[in-house]
Amino acid sequence: MVVKKAAPIFANKEDSNFREALKLYDAKQYKKALKLVETNLKKNANHAESLALKGCANYQLGHKDEAEPYILKAVGKGPDNYLVNHLAGIYYRSVENYPEAAKWLKAANDNGSPNKPILRDLSFMQTQIRDYKNLKDSRQQFLEHQPGYRANWTAVAIAHHLNKDYASAVSTLTKIEGIIKDHLTDADAYEQSECVLYKNSIIAEAGDYAQALKVLDEDEDQIRDQLSFLEYKAKYLMLLGSKKEASLIYRTLLKRNPDNMHYYNLLEASLETLDKPIEFRLKLYERLASFYPRSDPPKFLPLTFVPASSPLFEAKAREYIIPQLTKGVPATFVNVKPLYKDQKKLKVIESIVVDFYNKEASESSNPTIKLWTTYFLAQHYLYLNNLTKASEHIDAALKHSPTLVELYIIKARILKHEGKILEASEVMDQGRKLDLQDRFINSKTTKYLLRANKVNEAIDCISLFTKLDEDAVNGCKDLHVMQCNWVLVESAEAYSRMYKDFEVKLEELRKAGPAEGEEESFKELENDLIENIEIYKGLSLKRFQAVVKIFKIFFNDQYDFHSYCMRRGTPRDYVETLKWEDKIHATPIYTRVLKGLSEFYFDIHESLATKKTEEEPVVIKKNNKKLKKLQAQATKKRAELISKVESEKEDADPLGAKLLQDLTNDKDIIERLFELFKPLIQEGSGLILTWETLYRIYLIQGKYVLALQAIKSLNKILNPYGSENKFKTIGKKVVELSETSKNDDNANAAIVKVIEKGLISAFPDFENGNILEVYTQ
Amino acid sequence: MGRDIISLDDITPNNIGVLQKINEVSLPTTYSEQWYKDSLASDQIVKLSFYSELPVGGIKAKSFNSSSTTNTYETTQQLQIKDQIPNAVYIESLAVLEAYRGLGIGSKLLEYAIEETKKRFVHEIILHAHVENQEVISWYEKRGFMKGSIVPEYYKAQGLKNPDAVVLTLKV
Repeated sequence: MVVKKAAPIFANKEDSNFREALKLYDAKQYKKALKLVETNLKKNANHAESLALKGCANYQLGHKDEAEPYILKAVGKGPDNYLVNHLAGIYYRSVENYPEAAKWLKAANDNGSPNKPILRDLSFMQTQIRDYKNLKDSRQQFLEHQPGYRANWTAVAIAHHLNKDYASAVSTLTKIEGIIKDHLTDADAYEQSECVLYKNSIIAEAGDYAQALKVLDEDEDQIRDQLSFLEYKAKYLMLLGSKKEASLIYRTLLKRNPDNMHYYNLLEASLETLDKPIEFRLKLYERLASFYPRSDPPKFLPLTFVPASSPLFEAKAREYIIPQLTKGVPATFVNVKPLYKDQKKLKVIESIVVDFYNKEASESSNPTIKLWTTYFLAQHYLYLNNLTKASEHIDAALKHSPTLVELYIIKARILKHEGKILEASEVMDQGRKLDLQDRFINSKTTKYLLRANKVNEAIDCISLFTKLDEDAVNGCKDLHVMQCNWVLVESAEAYSRMYKDFEVKLEELRKAGPAEGEEESFKELENDLIENIEIYKGLSLKRFQAVVKIFKIFFNDQYDFHSYCMRRGTPRDYVETLKWEDKIHATPIYTRVLKGLSEFYFDIHESLATKKTEEEPVVIKKNNKKLKKLQAQATKKRAELISKVESEKEDADPLGAKLLQDLTNDKDIIERLFELFKPLIQEGSGLILTWETLYRIYLIQGKYVLALQAIKSLNKILNPYGSENKFKTIGKKVVELSETSKNDDNANAAIVKVIEKGLISAFPDFENGNILEVYTQ
Repeated sequence: MGRDIISLDDITPNNIGVLQKINEVSLPTTYSEQWYKDSLASDQIVKLSFYSELPVGGIKAKSFNSSSTTNTYETTQQLQIKDQIPNAVYIESLAVLEAYRGLGIGSKLLEYAIEETKKRFVHEIILHAHVENQEVISWYEKRGFMKGSIVPEYYKAQGLKNPDAVVLTLKV
């Protein structure tokens, strides 16, 4: 007999109350729901379900601090109750604690919840935390629950793919294709095409190119993305050795896009011309150039393989460069710059352009030819770091045509290289004024102003291109909303330079001491400096942290795609996105932020360690009137500054003072820093910064074995391709690690021995005791 | 051949700096910020000229009453036509970067001013030129301008050596 699982008639009052409350909660009537569970809890304080719901309702009503305690209590009382599990899952999902959310949603399902959509939510959490192993099961179970949607099949295939179970992924995709074949409408054509290509890419990823090729041809009429079709096909043919056939496809691809440099290289590979004599290859490119006269690659590529010693190079280079100078192509220099890696080619090009400059360019009736040639030479000499000559040329060009914006950019760059940061920003600004709607020079000017520590001017400058909220004085808030990371990082670094400047000034001031009778103004000056240091330190920290926050958002943003991409049928792009998310912390702009932050953290740690008691700023006693006036002035000045630097409306901590305070009071500051760097162990294992910083962290934490590993990893990066350079920084660290571990009374003696042995085996010079003399590079 | 290598285009709030730059480096006289801002007013005759897409020259002219004779450079620049009936067009500035002279750019700008003058149903174009600058005077004479009276000390406040100006007029 089947046991009917209906609501028992004799359910106790609490349960029925709870059910009622749950309904209210689902209807977003949180207040009412809360009231109901509270009456329950009055009667029975241990009613787990009510506790859980109270936690959730509290969260929804904004009592965020009173949410988690109830959830914890609830799961303590009823760890096997699927309703409690589910509510806990929902709570942790809303606070973006995905590992906990996944744990409790899984428990809800395992404990027999009949609510199947839990599985879907669970799969999102599992993807978010990269628990691919369990992801497979939840996606599969949900498919069994709802097999009528293609999205669910695709989701299962992706789960298999992420587990590198290629065969299961392909068979899942093939199966749904078979089921759906006769029911496809025009509206499904895009999804069908994408799924077919996805399947194909998996077959290829598994290494079976012959099969991939066969299936690709079979599916051709289903595929709408012709570009991918051709690129896949050509790749498979190449890998299978059918180069002749591949070459035909590369020719088709070239016809579609003759500006893709890649295709030319691949065409040559398929035609096996890469080892042929230069004359042969030149003929090929001449023919291609005649097919595609408006494309750059067939003209440029020969310059990469004709050696500088061949007279052909001179001829070809002239043929390439001179028409561009005559026509006034601003990017001429940028176009030839890749050739400069070869010193001899650089010399040939130099003589061609100098020659042209002295003769044809100067004699031409068209003044722009001389102008563009001068512009080219300025960039050329800048590349060679011949700043005198570069200046001469750019000044001549500026005198000739002071209305050309590009010239100011190069002039500013030259000044920057001369170390004249302030002048560089002024020149850039002159150029900007010629064309206020040129976004490129606007951004450049902003950057140069920031480099010159003129933060307010910089923000005003870029604010021409930001949204200006009502009663906002500049676009600082919008730059945060728009996640304009480069401005934030540059600002943070500018603020950091500024507070360090103030620190130097403060030190000088204190060293000099107050002049006689000037004690009061000395104190005033001192307090002023201390205040400025605090402000800019806080702001710097605040801007760095803003980028960290934005990257958290970048990572969390993928959440929506776990369902969206299934429904839209874009599995290929989805998998790409996941891979991209897996390494966002190694993005250069982010590692720059980490570098900046690590300086902060180490500085604070050190100042705490040395327990340097900072003198409290002494309040100067003045007659009341004067004091009041001064205070009013200070408040006004502060308010003005805040209006300029606020990162969001009603910013509770506009100057980052609280951030700085919290950080200074944090006993585990090094552990906090480690948390920031943790993702880099995986994502940024090839970066010097990763291991330099981790080494310092481990050393401070007394994790010597890990510190040893960090030195080894660092050494590996510094010595690519198995070279054996002996770098100073490595030698220093080896000695430092050895000494620190030996002098550490808390260290385990066995570990110290392991370190010593490890160091010797990794760096044999260490045993000889002269490592510092050998490691000098 | 595609487009003409010389072309004219409007001035906008975003490229006033270009006109300013051209005048600064090409003319001995200076103009106020306000003067440049005025160039956006619709009653003004203002154009930039481009050579191979590079801005190299500019003209600014305005409606004028020939009876309102003034005798200094500054008041002429500030003069606004209000109650008077315009009967002429006055060229306030016409400049081409040195490297781009002799290519027909200035003529093109002048032609434009002449066309605009005709559209306003007035038949005279007036301007002041520095008496010492023979090059400029003969440039205008070649294009049909007639020398008129000398205005003594016209450019005095501008610090030019011989501050007298000659009035040049063209009947159109």
